Amino acid sequence: MNVLSLLGRNLRHGPYTEPFPFGPAPTAERFRGRVVFDATTCEGCKICERVCPAGAIKFSKTKDGLAFALWHNSCVFCGNCEFHCPTGSVHQTTDWHLAHAQARKYALVELGLLPNQICSACGATALATAPSLRGVTPPLSPEETVTLKSMCPKCRAKFLKARRAKP
Amino acid sequence: MTTAVTETYTIPVGPLHVALEEPMYFRIDVHGETVARVDINAGHVHRGIEYLTTKRTMLQNVVLTERICSLCSNSHPETFAMAAERIAGIEIPERAALLRVVAAEVKRIASNLFNVALLAHLVGYETLFMHVMQVREIAQDIKETVFGNRMDLGAICIGGVRYDLDEKTTGFLVGSLDRLVPEIEAIVQTYRTNGSILGRTRDVGVLTREQAIACGVVGPVARASGVAYDVRAVAPYAAYDRLPLEVHVLTDGDVWSRAMIRLAEALTAIDLVRACLRDLPDGPTRLAETPDIPPGQAIAKSEAPRGELIYYLKTNDEPRPERVKWRVPTFMNWDALRFMLAGAKLADIAIIVNSIDPCVSCTER
Repeated sequence: MNVLSLLGRNLRHGPYTEPFPFGPAPTAERFRGRVVFDATTCEGCKICERVCPAGAIKFSKTKDGLAFALWHNSCVFCGNCEFHCPTGSVHQTTDWHLAHAQARKYALVELGLLPNQICSACGATALATAPSLRGVTPPLSPEETVTLKSMCPKCRAKFLKARRAKP
Repeated sequence: MTTAVTETYTIPVGPLHVALEEPMYFRIDVHGETVARVDINAGHVHRGIEYLTTKRTMLQNVVLTERICSLCSNSHPETFAMAAERIAGIEIPERAALLRVVAAEVKRIASNLFNVALLAHLVGYETLFMHVMQVREIAQDIKETVFGNRMDLGAICIGGVRYDLDEKTTGFLVGSLDRLVPEIEAIVQTYRTNGSILGRTRDVGVLTREQAIACGVVGPVARASGVAYDVRAVAPYAAYDRLPLEVHVLTDGDVWSRAMIRLAEALTAIDLVRACLRDLPDGPTRLAETPDIPPGQAIAKSEAPRGELIYYLKTNDEPRPERVKWRVPTFMNWDALRFMLAGAKLADIAIIVNSIDPCVSCTER
């Protein structure tokens, strides 16, 4: 490597650094950035809370249902939650624009709520979690999924048992 | 005492900014500008991670061990997972074994180039330093594109790997490696011929073969002193037994030899990744279910960029391990600094310390 030829090459190429924030900064598609949570597909299994090594994810029971909170200031962006999530409800985006003023440090929280609902079969109050569809054969139709989702866990079990019993 | 001025002075080197910006404290007695005696004082960045691992579940520990150190951040969870898999008697799928090699070797390229770049910086050859760092940036881009992060790959899970290669990422990986090879070859040529580099690194910080064996040094430090010890060859793990691995050995044991070993291993790492991509079979990348680790104990070892990394894992009926203990390569290598620094010039201390590629955050965890 000749330093003069290197110099010429670098002169032709220009700066190697990204001009951010005055220009775009390309981000890889697989970049592990800000986490988003989708309550509509969440089964409420809480595996993300258990595998989170930073303790950034907390589920808490409220009067409205089961609240999900992910603190981005505790998060280490390891992606363990997304990796272990059976439904893909926890997902890392490519958004890395997380710099913020100190005053906003409590605002960088991803919130979600699995609301309470009245069971369409028995009338009991239960969480409106997405029904677990793994291992259900034959697969549920969209209508059946909606019906199942409107039920409490006990009625869901009854529904699936009755479905299995059908010839 | 008014007449005899003592000929020996004691000077502190560190704890900050010896070579890397990592704390390591040396108390050095000098005669004139020649090192007479070295005291190494450790423990400035003890973070208690070994204790923390016993407070985390096995699945959390895969992430925690990755954060012990950023430069060997793939070797730690890989070896931890290997120990867990040994306890549970798990065989990882073939595709997973090869993907583990890909992750490990990409990390090795970046880590070795980083150390070689720092050598140029310490020699005072800033142009070369920045050029090597720019070449390393190709490896950094591979990590970001394929794994999603520039340092912590998140590639490992117990029972396999977390990532997979598709057509797009494979294409990017192959293209990047093709760009890396001529760049690294040119860097090798520079380190082989440049007067500034040779003048500051040849016959500096010599560790003889006997001293290397006495200290039990590992990794490129051992191989530069004529000890052909590479865990990938003597105790193959993942897919290394079926890959064309070349173990590089030099006999001079000086700073230059250690740098040349690292550059040669970066090139070998590229060959290994290419061989993996060629042989990569279809199939699962991990076990279908997250495995439970039964009570037991196991030892696993791997070749981190700095040398042999050993993990001891003891599990019981709890989801948390009872004990995790690791021995990192720098722990073995930094003791040899006493021999390397003996008789060295004061100005060479930083170069010699850097030549063992010290990773203090691993060693003091």
